[in-house]
Amino acid sequence: MITMNFELEEKHKLVRRSVRNFAEKILAPLAPIMDREEEFYPEIIKELSMMNLWGITIPEKYGGAELDSINYLISIEEISRICASTALTVSVHNALGAIPIYKWGNEEQKERFLYDLASGKKISGFSWTEPNAGSDARSIECMAVEDGKDLILNGSKIFVTNGSIASVFLVGTRYQTIDKQRGFTLVIVEKDMVGCEIGPKENKMGMRANPTTSLYFNNVRVPKENVLGKLQNGFKYAMQMLDFGRIGIAAQALGIAQAAYEHSVKYSKGRIQFKKSISQFQGISFKLAEMATKIDAARLLVYRAGYMSDRNKSFPKEAAMCKLFTSKVARQVSQEALQIHGGYGYMKDLPIERYYRDAKACEIYEGTSEIMKLIIANQILRGNI
Amino acid sequence: MALKIVILIKQVPSYDNLEIDKSTGTIVRDGIENVINPNDLYSIELGLNLKEKYNATVSIMTMGPPQAEFALREALAMGADHAILISDPRFVYSDTLQTTLILKEAFEIIKDYDIIICGSQTSDSSTGQVPFQLSEALEIPLITDIFTLEIENHIIKCHRNFGHESQNIEVELPVILRTVSHFNNPRFISLSGIKKAFEKKIQTFAYKTFNFPEYIDGCNKSPTRVVKIEKVEIKRKNKILEGSLNEKIQSLIQIMKENGINNVYSGQKK
Repeated sequence: MITMNFELEEKHKLVRRSVRNFAEKILAPLAPIMDREEEFYPEIIKELSMMNLWGITIPEKYGGAELDSINYLISIEEISRICASTALTVSVHNALGAIPIYKWGNEEQKERFLYDLASGKKISGFSWTEPNAGSDARSIECMAVEDGKDLILNGSKIFVTNGSIASVFLVGTRYQTIDKQRGFTLVIVEKDMVGCEIGPKENKMGMRANPTTSLYFNNVRVPKENVLGKLQNGFKYAMQMLDFGRIGIAAQALGIAQAAYEHSVKYSKGRIQFKKSISQFQGISFKLAEMATKIDAARLLVYRAGYMSDRNKSFPKEAAMCKLFTSKVARQVSQEALQIHGGYGYMKDLPIERYYRDAKACEIYEGTSEIMKLIIANQILRGNI
Repeated sequence: MALKIVILIKQVPSYDNLEIDKSTGTIVRDGIENVINPNDLYSIELGLNLKEKYNATVSIMTMGPPQAEFALREALAMGADHAILISDPRFVYSDTLQTTLILKEAFEIIKDYDIIICGSQTSDSSTGQVPFQLSEALEIPLITDIFTLEIENHIIKCHRNFGHESQNIEVELPVILRTVSHFNNPRFISLSGIKKAFEKKIQTFAYKTFNFPEYIDGCNKSPTRVVKIEKVEIKRKNKILEGSLNEKIQSLIQIMKENGINNVYSGQKK
């Protein structure tokens, strides 16, 4: 008999417990300060290294923790429950930095980069978006032109997550051509290469503890050995990377929703108005019921996507559904949490308004909700009903 | 020869959400998360420190239901080398004396050990009796409340705080050490530790492993009976002070004095 198992494995439970314990003790005191100061504290990098959070799914032989995708998602969820910005840093580094190098990099590249990335000695970022290329990902203009054994990079990138703390970037370029359909190539760029300049930190609504910057390439000479995978296959890689990246963002949204919900339950049970706790009013308790239901549904979508990833199934539709739904749930739940907390929720003394600001980003980056719908619709109409 | 350390731990219901069933007078265990007894984390940390310093091997041992295996996995993930689960229906309802007798049987099988580390007491029953009883049963010394220790040539030198005294004690191994809470910082469990922990095999000791000793019967031969467990509610009393601000201050000072707080600065010059 084939049975469906919704129970997490013991290993997953222990990962949740240990990352939660770490996040509550180490990240919780810093999260509000880093948000207020819009500063990522670099000492956290070392703490995250000791937890092996920089190479969650990377094999042990490259210094990773060699756990499965569900463990990765649980880790991101638990970090995000305390500090969504740090979850973003970790998620992007894992999904869009270390994992692609493990997946498509050659042995020499793995030797050169993967140890440092999995141990947190170096932080990575992914850089595709440009001023004129957001949702229209094919319209990037950053050029990589061949010159002997090197590629010469010219162009500029924006909204680079981990911008000022990363030293290794996977950069989306056009190889030799500006033909809209061709030439996409992923190049590993190191921050100290001559001509590579990191722009000032963006001033953001949420995710403020994640340093997001621009990147400028002015005749940057990159050896051809730094091309990830095959030349002109970059778009395919990027799309696959983003499928996995998206479920990380969904896990991040899930963590935010969970935090907002837990705060709401606690606050509404303790807050006395009209001589009873406000949780005893249907106007509040029904909100809690809605929150719990939505979070549960979102969590099932997130873990299902992780399950598919672990079985090497292609899951663009499921990943997009998971991000579309969970990021919306995070926004709605944090908004309702703010409403339940009333004036207190609007104050910066409580983390509720931070959850609301952070949640909004999840509907935008790594593909907007509208793009998610486009992906889902394309998949459905192509026959993947 | 490498030191052999055995750390005794217990899995307990999470302290944060302890509930008591008023009708049966027992702790509600359904739906409650189980954790390593918080005081035992200090023992594990001490054991792992000794492992790093003296190249020791660290075994974790617990007695409990089959699900106590999770506590052992946690300890393995922290860095312990081996784990032993003592579990059998005949051990259920063992009090501290029965537990000690069972542990004695276990140590007879283990045979080779230099240091046994225990926590001060469990958060679910708080008797703290096992280290003392075990010391008697195994006929080896017990040092409680240790803070620092050095081992050389099979001799352990301990610094211990006893009330207002600070004592230095020297004992030949084997020895039982009882740790105090908060004397070290138990490490976090890293993700790579978790992978390794689940690859390890856990040794199991059951009634038959001990060759069916008749004097072991948790349910019928435990001299201790738990009659009832109650939650003690500590209630705050409110008292609203009436009158002008000055009168309120004066009555507040009065109340504080009545409660033994005598050095109250009232703002008035003497």
